[in-house]
Amino acid sequence: MSVDSQTAAAALAVTELVKVYHPRGRPAVRALDGMSFSVARGQIFGLLGPNGAGKTTLLKILTTLTRPTSGQARVLGFDVTAQPLEVRRRLSVVLQESATEMFLTVRDNLLTFARFHGLRGAEARRRLEDVLARFQLGEEADRKVMDLSGGFRRRVQVAKMFMVDTPVLFLDEFTTGMDPLLKRDLMGYLRQEAARGRTIVLTTQVLGEAEELCDDILIMNKGRQVARGDLHSLKLLSRGIYDVALTFESLPPGLEAELARLHPLRLNVAQNTVEMTLKAEESEVLALVTGLAGRGRLLKMEVSGPTLEDVFIELMEEKPAPAE
Amino acid sequence: MSALNAMLYREAKIRFTNFAWLFWDLFYPLGYLLVFGVGINAALGPPAPALDVDYNAFFLAGVLGVASFGIAHNTAWGFFVDRDNGIFYEMLTYPLSRAEFLLGKMIFNIALAILQAAITVGLGAALLGVTLRTDLLPLLLFGVAAGTAGWVCFFSIFALRIRRNDLFNSVMSVFYFVFLFASSIFYPLEPLPAAFRWAALANPLTWQVDLMRYSSIGLGDPWQVFVETAAFVVFSLGAFAYAVRCLQQQD
Repeated sequence: MSVDSQTAAAALAVTELVKVYHPRGRPAVRALDGMSFSVARGQIFGLLGPNGAGKTTLLKILTTLTRPTSGQARVLGFDVTAQPLEVRRRLSVVLQESATEMFLTVRDNLLTFARFHGLRGAEARRRLEDVLARFQLGEEADRKVMDLSGGFRRRVQVAKMFMVDTPVLFLDEFTTGMDPLLKRDLMGYLRQEAARGRTIVLTTQVLGEAEELCDDILIMNKGRQVARGDLHSLKLLSRGIYDVALTFESLPPGLEAELARLHPLRLNVAQNTVEMTLKAEESEVLALVTGLAGRGRLLKMEVSGPTLEDVFIELMEEKPAPAE
Repeated sequence: MSALNAMLYREAKIRFTNFAWLFWDLFYPLGYLLVFGVGINAALGPPAPALDVDYNAFFLAGVLGVASFGIAHNTAWGFFVDRDNGIFYEMLTYPLSRAEFLLGKMIFNIALAILQAAITVGLGAALLGVTLRTDLLPLLLFGVAAGTAGWVCFFSIFALRIRRNDLFNSVMSVFYFVFLFASSIFYPLEPLPAAFRWAALANPLTWQVDLMRYSSIGLGDPWQVFVETAAFVVFSLGAFAYAVRCLQQQD
């Protein structure tokens, strides 16, 4: 492949990807059922789906850990089945499970990982100091990983990825066990890395993270794509869903029963605050809020559109089969 | 080449930063020779009247065979440790081929086995008065290296195919019993019952030990040793190819 065509290639290109598992003594499982999509370079791409959706299988294929039954997957133009080594040279992977060299120190974990990616000597040491500082691991640098807590081990696992400049980064549930402050910093680093041109593929169950980070999101279920787009276009799929929160000086009598008659998707009344999720036209919601505002002295009012979680839940709900 | 270097660096870092582990690896065959070998030599005398050697000299190659077996077992067990730590699957996404992954482990363990053999043979011969065939030492090194490589690959197959460590341990217990005792490690094969002897002759550990015994103290029929060595090389190459295939099938 020429340099020009490499440059032009998408970060990920997946075509009609199928993976069928044949567990012993059980029926075959079609984990991926004809997935097709591509991801542009420099994007933060979110892969979302419930347990068993096929995310991990897809990630395993893209990172050369397993082969597809049929179809094709390319990373930066290199076929994962025919050119696995070329693919591996261009990616770093944070797996869902903890993955560290327990018998080595934090320092040796980072240096060993760098060496596998061809980085050694002064440059590796310079990177090491930077990464140790960035992940607040300086004090633990000479401790063996087996002596660290689960949170620190996870930190070491993620820190390794910043020792090298592979153009594609896969992060599977990367914030599990990480403290909120570091998580926030890390999200900032990821945005910086994407701005530098790295493509970041992340899978997460924490939809708030995806909402905050991802430029492009693919929602999958049962091995198939269910929805795809940026956050704004995905939210259009749940058009008509509104979250309303009102705090009164004192709750008007009979309000809860009155609101329940509107059949909201969610209704929660606690102290003087009413929170509800409605599926209605925008004008109806505004009229309702205006009416409620006249019922008592309002201290606070919020009306917002659907969150990614609202979209996700709506997409994952089984649609009843049409009546015969 | 850099992938292999990285693999060797990783294995060396793990081993050399755990001193107790390293000490055991390097010195336990010598200990085995000094305790078991000296004990049997004192209690039972030479291994067979027709063989003009004492038990210490006879057992020197045997203990090197046990050591190759032990190193291979530890390496294979390492796959379970790496799986438990999650690093095994992450490493499969590193920029190295499955063959390089296995070769790296193999080469490091060969180096370790040669160091171990140098200590065992050097100190063992000096302390127990064993006369060595120094002209055949390169062949002895080849026996140690090929033996370690072959057994590392052979055991790796089982570590990669068997996912449950309790089952793997059971298989290893059977292997230790069968391979070590149905072989020429502890005793010469000639006085054994015919079925036992044939089983031992079909055992790759016998092939490796016979080569090392011939190259250390000159005991054995050169032609038979040649055939056994060739068979062991074929066994090792087959085990390597199949172990790489097993690694490719990990997911």
